[in-house]
Amino acid sequence: MHGRLKVRTTEEERERKKKEQALKVKAYKAATTKISAKRQNQEYDDEMLAYTTPILQRNPDVSTLWNIRRECILAKVKKIKEEEVTPEKEAIQEEHILQVFETEMSLTEQCLLVNPKSYNIWHHRMWLLEQSPKANWQREVMLCNKYLKMDERNFHTWDYKRYVVEKAQVPKEEELDFCTEKIKVNFSNYSSWHHRSLLLPALYPYEGDAKPKRPMSEEKLKEELEMVLTAAFTDPYDSSAWFYQRWLLGYSQPELAACAFRCSKDKTVLSFTKLTTKEDLKVVLTGDGGKTLEITDFLTLNNQVSDTIFYSKNPVEDPSMYQNLEVSSKALTSITLPLSKYNDDAYYFHALEASTTYTPDVLDQLKSQLESCESLLEYEPDSKWCLLTSALLMRAIDCQEYHDKTMEYLKKLQKVDSLRENYYKDLASKWILQKALIQWSKTDGEHMLKSIDLSQEEQLTCLTDKQYLIVADEIILSKELTKRYEGGLKSFSNI
Amino acid sequence: MDFASFAKPTNSDANSPTTDDSKTEELHFWKHVEYIENHGKDQDDYEYCMTEFLRMSGIYWGVTALDIMNQLERLDRNSIIEFIKRCQCPTTGGFAPCEGHDPHILYTLSAVQILCIYDALEQIDCEAVVKYVMSLQQHDGSFFGDRWGEVDTRFSFCAVAILTLLKKDLATTIDVEKAVQFVMSCCNQTDGGFGSKPGAESHAGLIYCCVGFLSLTHRLHLLDVDKLGWWLCERQLPSGGLNGRPEKLPDVCYSWWVLASLTIMGRLHWISADKLKQFILSCQDNETGGFADRTGNLPDIFHTLFGIGALSLLGFEGLKAINATLCMPQYVMDRLEIKPQILERP
Repeated sequence: MHGRLKVRTTEEERERKKKEQALKVKAYKAATTKISAKRQNQEYDDEMLAYTTPILQRNPDVSTLWNIRRECILAKVKKIKEEEVTPEKEAIQEEHILQVFETEMSLTEQCLLVNPKSYNIWHHRMWLLEQSPKANWQREVMLCNKYLKMDERNFHTWDYKRYVVEKAQVPKEEELDFCTEKIKVNFSNYSSWHHRSLLLPALYPYEGDAKPKRPMSEEKLKEELEMVLTAAFTDPYDSSAWFYQRWLLGYSQPELAACAFRCSKDKTVLSFTKLTTKEDLKVVLTGDGGKTLEITDFLTLNNQVSDTIFYSKNPVEDPSMYQNLEVSSKALTSITLPLSKYNDDAYYFHALEASTTYTPDVLDQLKSQLESCESLLEYEPDSKWCLLTSALLMRAIDCQEYHDKTMEYLKKLQKVDSLRENYYKDLASKWILQKALIQWSKTDGEHMLKSIDLSQEEQLTCLTDKQYLIVADEIILSKELTKRYEGGLKSFSNI
Repeated sequence: MDFASFAKPTNSDANSPTTDDSKTEELHFWKHVEYIENHGKDQDDYEYCMTEFLRMSGIYWGVTALDIMNQLERLDRNSIIEFIKRCQCPTTGGFAPCEGHDPHILYTLSAVQILCIYDALEQIDCEAVVKYVMSLQQHDGSFFGDRWGEVDTRFSFCAVAILTLLKKDLATTIDVEKAVQFVMSCCNQTDGGFGSKPGAESHAGLIYCCVGFLSLTHRLHLLDVDKLGWWLCERQLPSGGLNGRPEKLPDVCYSWWVLASLTIMGRLHWISADKLKQFILSCQDNETGGFADRTGNLPDIFHTLFGIGALSLLGFEGLKAINATLCMPQYVMDRLEIKPQILERP
């Protein structure tokens, strides 16, 4: 039961309602008994249709009754087809068949008016169209537009619309215009923003080299950023546009790549930017004179199917003589990475770059958006969405330069949006670690792997990307963090 | 696992009720036990008759909630098992929600879940169930709900959940790779969430099904956890309750869909557990027992399970542990040696 208020009623009213319901139950039971009897005798006829109609008009969730109606329709169509006709009467026969479908279509429409959120009704309509010899897809598009006017968030209607516009071959441009109109009427419409997010990448594909790929061409991206900010500022407390904005700014996880590797004579570790499996994992060291060595028997560090860290205890004679590392797996096309030396070991390390360079046009747009957000913050210093978006814009523009300010904003967000306090803490930790790793990768190669010191990072409350740390001999953490991981954090020396 | 009741229109214009921080309610434990125990005792009850089409799921909701409250013996095990046996379709092997209705994958899962809780799988023809599930997979990897061809990610979840509970090797019964590909084709780039079919808007109920599916097929690495986790934790509203999509009202059943998904992804800590507990407790009916979708509404058995289940995930005292992926008592999973994948907290 959704959305049914419990109301206080008098004894009298309760009695009256009870009697009314008892009658309904009686009628329902009588009808279902008749339906069952007819079904047992395979009587899929007009009477059967008539028995099921009133029940479905009240309660479209009774799937079996829709199944029975489908049986009836198939039986009726079969019967019409079996009648022998002269060629000149073929058209009339087809007309009869179409009539069967039309009648059923109007029933579904009556039912939809009462219950536009019933899976069964929408599916029955789809089934009818698929079975009908002459489906009118254009009419279905109009129907969707009508229903979306009544409820612009009904996901059943949106799903159905996507299905029928494809059948009706409505151009994507037209759909985009429809979306724009819908959003103009009401910015707070996540369903429209979602629909838009499917159309734009197809209409304006991104062809640059940024990774992860931008959702659409930078030219279009700039336009969308402008549009969405206008929407967001219209009602800064509505989340729909802000979600879309964050997607535009690009916050997908990094693409799968090897990010850290270290090989000593008795063990090897290999880390990836994100979770993956060892399916078809192939790790080969190559050196001068065509010398190659394959390292096998990799295991996940967490003992699960997928992990970011893999290790092998294969012995390797003199690892430091190899210059390159070749890695491939089912999910990763082969890449060759340059190895560095650390004492007798060979290693590779690539810290994640947090921001990628935009074209000057987009960059200008981002900067002006940041200005707008900042000025809004002057009036509404506790606006959650503004604080978060400002922080994200700063990261997109230059994460190094704005690091301290973004940290300040995340700290503030923990207070003004305390329900998600831990989310912001984890996000801050992620950004801190990213910065620290870039710093670390710049240390002198001779000393780098000896240790990484994270003990001075006050806002670091968890290690979101600990796979980068695995190549260090020692990981120095604050007291709190050491306690939190209670020896569960591995460094290279204790694998 | 039925979302049929999602289909009822909700009054999305009303303002969300906010709970008063100062008065934290208690769990009306015995009232809920009584509520579930009495559900269906009056076979002529109007609500009971009108929900006949989902009876099997109704029983699963009641059985699971009572077991989580350690009161399973209040229901008559034998008559429930006999009922289930009568609902297995002799031709297809699937289960109907009730006698006189047609089999469907939704009710097949409910039947199997109840039998697992009662440790009574040997009472039915399990091989026929496996064949039924196999027969519903399509070339693109998706699953039909029944022979009439509706496709939905809910059914993908049901399929792998049934096979897992029957201890069948997924790889040799269905095309797992294709099943995974289909589910991933329903993943949205904007928010990392999932809808019911490719292109469909993300929805917390469907996200639970897809995350649960990936947990059962051990493919959680395909998720963008940061993106999806953020969208999910944004479902928490000032009242403490969770909604299923942006700008919608909170609802106790989303406490389960969102919370279970976050638990599987190791991100339960991204929402406020205390505030959610308050919201769930405010949705109890302290006269009749049972939970409603929202404060002040009529209770039902569906929301009662998801209220109790969510409290169990939050570690509420006096409740047995529940498994986030299968929404069944954890001890049943242990007995069956079923270990769905879950990700660790960073």
